[in-house]
Amino acid sequence: MKQSSKLSLKSVILAQPMSFIVPVLLGAIASLAAVVLLGLSGWFISAAGLATALGLALVFNYLTPGAIVRLMAILRTAGRYGEQVTAHNHLLGLLRTLRLWVWEQRVNQASADQSQQAKGDLLQRLVSDLDLIIRWPLAVFLPWLYASLAYLGVMVFASLIDPILIWPLLCGAFCHLIALPYIAGRQARRAVHIGQILGTHRRSRFISFFSALVTLTIRGHWQDYGARLKELDVRQQNMEARIQKATTTGRLAAYIVTIGLLFSCLYLLSVWQNGRFYLNEGVQGPWLVGFVLSILAVNELVLPLIQCFVSQGQSQVGIKRLNQLCQDHELKDQPLSAKVETIELQQWRGFHDATGLGNEPLTMQVKRGDCWWLKGKSGAGKSTFLAALAGDCLSKGEALLNGQTIDFYQHQGARQVISYLPQSPYVFQQSIGANLLLGNSKATEEELWAVLDAVALADWVKTLPNGLNTLLAPQGRDLSGGQGRRLVLARLLLRKAPVLLLDEPFDGLDKQTIAHISHHLMGDFKPDILLLVSHVSSPLGEQAKVVTLSSDS
Amino acid sequence: MLRKQRSKATKARREKSLEGQFLSSLALSQQRRYLWVKVFGVLFTLALIVQAWMLAQVFAELALQQRFSMVFLGVALLAMLVRGLSGFVRDGLSAAASREIRYTLRARLITTLTALGPARLNIDEDGGLSTRIYEQVDALDDYFSRYLPQVFMVSFIPCAILVTVLPVSWVAFVIFMVTAPLVIVFMIFVGHKAAQANRKQFSVLSMLSNQFMDLNQGLAELKRLQQCEQAKQRLSVSASAYQHTTMKVLRLAFLSTATLELFASLAIAMVALYLGLGLLEALPWQLGSSPVTLTQAMFLLLLAPEFYLPLRQLGNDYHAKQKAEAAATDLMEISQFTEKTTLEQAAPWAEKSMGYKQANQQGGDSLISFEGFAWQESNRTRLGEINAELGIGERVWLSGESGVGKSSLLHVLLGFEKGYSGHLAVAGEDFRQLDLKAWRQRLAWLPQQPEWVNGSIRRNLLLGIEEACQEDVEQALKDSQCAEFIQTLPDGLDTKLNEMGGGLSGGQMQRLAIARALLSKADVWLLDEPCSGLDADTAKAVLATLEKASKGKTMLLISHDTHPIPWADRHWQLNKGGLYEAEQQAIA
Repeated sequence: MKQSSKLSLKSVILAQPMSFIVPVLLGAIASLAAVVLLGLSGWFISAAGLATALGLALVFNYLTPGAIVRLMAILRTAGRYGEQVTAHNHLLGLLRTLRLWVWEQRVNQASADQSQQAKGDLLQRLVSDLDLIIRWPLAVFLPWLYASLAYLGVMVFASLIDPILIWPLLCGAFCHLIALPYIAGRQARRAVHIGQILGTHRRSRFISFFSALVTLTIRGHWQDYGARLKELDVRQQNMEARIQKATTTGRLAAYIVTIGLLFSCLYLLSVWQNGRFYLNEGVQGPWLVGFVLSILAVNELVLPLIQCFVSQGQSQVGIKRLNQLCQDHELKDQPLSAKVETIELQQWRGFHDATGLGNEPLTMQVKRGDCWWLKGKSGAGKSTFLAALAGDCLSKGEALLNGQTIDFYQHQGARQVISYLPQSPYVFQQSIGANLLLGNSKATEEELWAVLDAVALADWVKTLPNGLNTLLAPQGRDLSGGQGRRLVLARLLLRKAPVLLLDEPFDGLDKQTIAHISHHLMGDFKPDILLLVSHVSSPLGEQAKVVTLSSDS
Repeated sequence: MLRKQRSKATKARREKSLEGQFLSSLALSQQRRYLWVKVFGVLFTLALIVQAWMLAQVFAELALQQRFSMVFLGVALLAMLVRGLSGFVRDGLSAAASREIRYTLRARLITTLTALGPARLNIDEDGGLSTRIYEQVDALDDYFSRYLPQVFMVSFIPCAILVTVLPVSWVAFVIFMVTAPLVIVFMIFVGHKAAQANRKQFSVLSMLSNQFMDLNQGLAELKRLQQCEQAKQRLSVSASAYQHTTMKVLRLAFLSTATLELFASLAIAMVALYLGLGLLEALPWQLGSSPVTLTQAMFLLLLAPEFYLPLRQLGNDYHAKQKAEAAATDLMEISQFTEKTTLEQAAPWAEKSMGYKQANQQGGDSLISFEGFAWQESNRTRLGEINAELGIGERVWLSGESGVGKSSLLHVLLGFEKGYSGHLAVAGEDFRQLDLKAWRQRLAWLPQQPEWVNGSIRRNLLLGIEEACQEDVEQALKDSQCAEFIQTLPDGLDTKLNEMGGGLSGGQMQRLAIARALLSKADVWLLDEPCSGLDADTAKAVLATLEKASKGKTMLLISHDTHPIPWADRHWQLNKGGLYEAEQQAIA
């Protein structure tokens, strides 16, 4: 699948055509075998009965049909097995392809949106959307295809008995394969769609209300808010009921169509005489029995279709949501020299896209070997300033790197030379060692211990039974805030990038640890340029030049 | 009480049965609907048998006489219609039952969470709770709407068919009789195998999802580290590995299902062969005569697949049960609190506290008084003994190590926890007898992370306040020193906040919370480490604002020793043994 292509149900099917053909063929064989099996055994028994009645039992060849019946039974079972195995294999391959597609889309997205997405439940939804979509070929497309093929098979059979049967069969096929799934799907689509929107809405309302639960309760207003949650739930329940009604009514309609089909076929082939129907000339009873039985077999294949097409709506909503991710984001990438001599900022300010909040425009010049301590009141935008330098926030004004104009937000290469420790850094759900290796995948074990020592974590890691291989909990939940931040700092130190931006690295650490880390940041792990935001004093800050961000407008 | 004892008794048993119990206790509420589902299931089965018999008549006539009677065909088609209709009603009823069960359960769980208040976060954070309340409850759907009705059909249909087959042909009866237990035994075996495979697959899949989520959440960090390509590689490799291992598992699982299918097919083929040879009068032990008529043969042929069908369907629905049990584990965690809260309410403390109430009717000017107050929970001390009084207008600083129950104390005062022992009185009235609503009206609550709903700053300030004039709002904003930064916001008071705050700094959020407390006209302020997330300068500034704003209020303020409250009237220290009054000067 191409990176930037939009998703559609068609592209989901065609994503891996080769691995899809095998389950389709096997499934088709199995479905046809099932229909033939029932039709043929019906014919076989009635023909046997007839032969005996006519006294021809001794010459009746029961070996060939018997063998075919057994063959069909085996084909049906083996085909179904093969289809399930290959189709699931295809499905897993599809899951992989789609996940990588989503990953690509997210990587290409602007950083400012990403942090927004990571916080909300969007990611959770992405995962469940993907699961919905990959099931589509298996749950909707294939059953429809098999039912169509079975209908085709019955039509061929019918044309051997009497070509006139083609007409009711065509009508039945139209109703079963096109009209009913379409109508039921249409009836339910709106409800499915609204239901999904309600679901999202309900969830965010729940989180919003519950995060203010105590305040709302003590103000005596939880009742109203609880009622508003309840109201969404009631609406959701109604939508669910409507979807279910569409499905069950569709199934009933499919039953009635089959009944009509059976009746009209028999009616067309016979004449009404003396209170009985007599078959037309040339129509053989045993064949007709086989035909009726095969229609019953087709009925079994057709019934689940209604349900399939109702759930198709969900896949479509999922695809629509995934496509919202799809953006063509041009990334400028001029080569940068690995050394950073100067960074100049002129009337430069970083700000958040959503609120526009950030620091007041600042002019400063940073040279190689400099260490700066950024001060300012709370709300002066220190963190935003650093984040903008790291390319996580938007910026205004002019910035020069080594004398060249640069837009940190757009420029991917700038990340090569800048390491940034945010206030709440991200620890991956991997081992401690793997987390560190993300900084530099070629680092030796000695280097790992060296950086761990530099951030005063080495002793702690040594006490762990699994040492560097200790697996961390999701988002580093089993680490204290200070430990997580230091672990990420160690990872950054491994990168040895010339510019280091630290946002509150010492928060929650004792004096001794602060001194220890400062010592290493001024010694063996000294970056070319260091910018520090910290409200805690430290040996590192004391020898740094100070710049104060003003908060006046 | 009874229920609790029972659940205790079964705790020794496997965990799974507990979840099964939980699910069946839920199903109990819809007994009537499920009864009707059974009735229509019986009707469905009868229609099935009538349809087979009538069609067999038609077929026999067709084959032998090239004609068919209107009556037989009519009844056959009518039976088919009845089958369709009873299926329709059954599906509708079971879906309605499932909806009723799920939405009632959800409402109950939300009520429980509301009653738990701050303690709900011991179960999970709000995001996780919302997943349980919505996704997990809905995960029960397939169990209640499909699996449960099907369990009945699985035993009823084969039995009904056996009974009808017996008078027609004893050979067919024997074939069914012998194969059915084999199929069932095999089913259990396959089900067990499939369950194991499923569980394994499920855990691997959730691991894979976790990895995907984890890498996605840390995407910004990966981009900064320029490790996106490597991460993609990781995703790709682990997805391929997952595909490989899962396919191994699935191949086995499907193989056992396929064997079952083959088994059923063979049984049908045996019946068909027997019927065919019988009709040809060629059975080795019965040469020259036929054990069945053509009609009977047709009848048996039509019923044979129906005999095995429900068994196979149940196999397909088996994962519905698994899904429900997995969800039940999470839901029971919330649900057990429902029992607890109701138990607490019925607790026999009333008498004792009545006596206490009379004795203390004319207590002095102390607003809140603790006497022999303590809190034990499942052999764990949540709060040591407290004997203390808090006077009207007194501002008290409460400190202590983390884990000694400072927050729990506030939660008691907020009226969310009632499991304590000893006495707690407000203005001389026992807390358990208190008009909770009126008491809560007097409270303002400022936790570590101020509480916000999605909406504008104005809406959040006025959260739950009937009427407030613009002047009041402005005064409150001024007193809490919010006016300054609100002016710089492009939308002013109409700036949108989400539950994370949205662009405001921690200090600004706390100031807004103070403004809200001022606006609410509450005279008792409860603060839980309002400065813990702030840096030293900001914390100092916020505390200074707090000092001015809270003059004249009764206040209980939890703060670590790192953020001392020198202006507090008293300083309480809490440790495992209980509460001690500390020298205020010594700290200030």
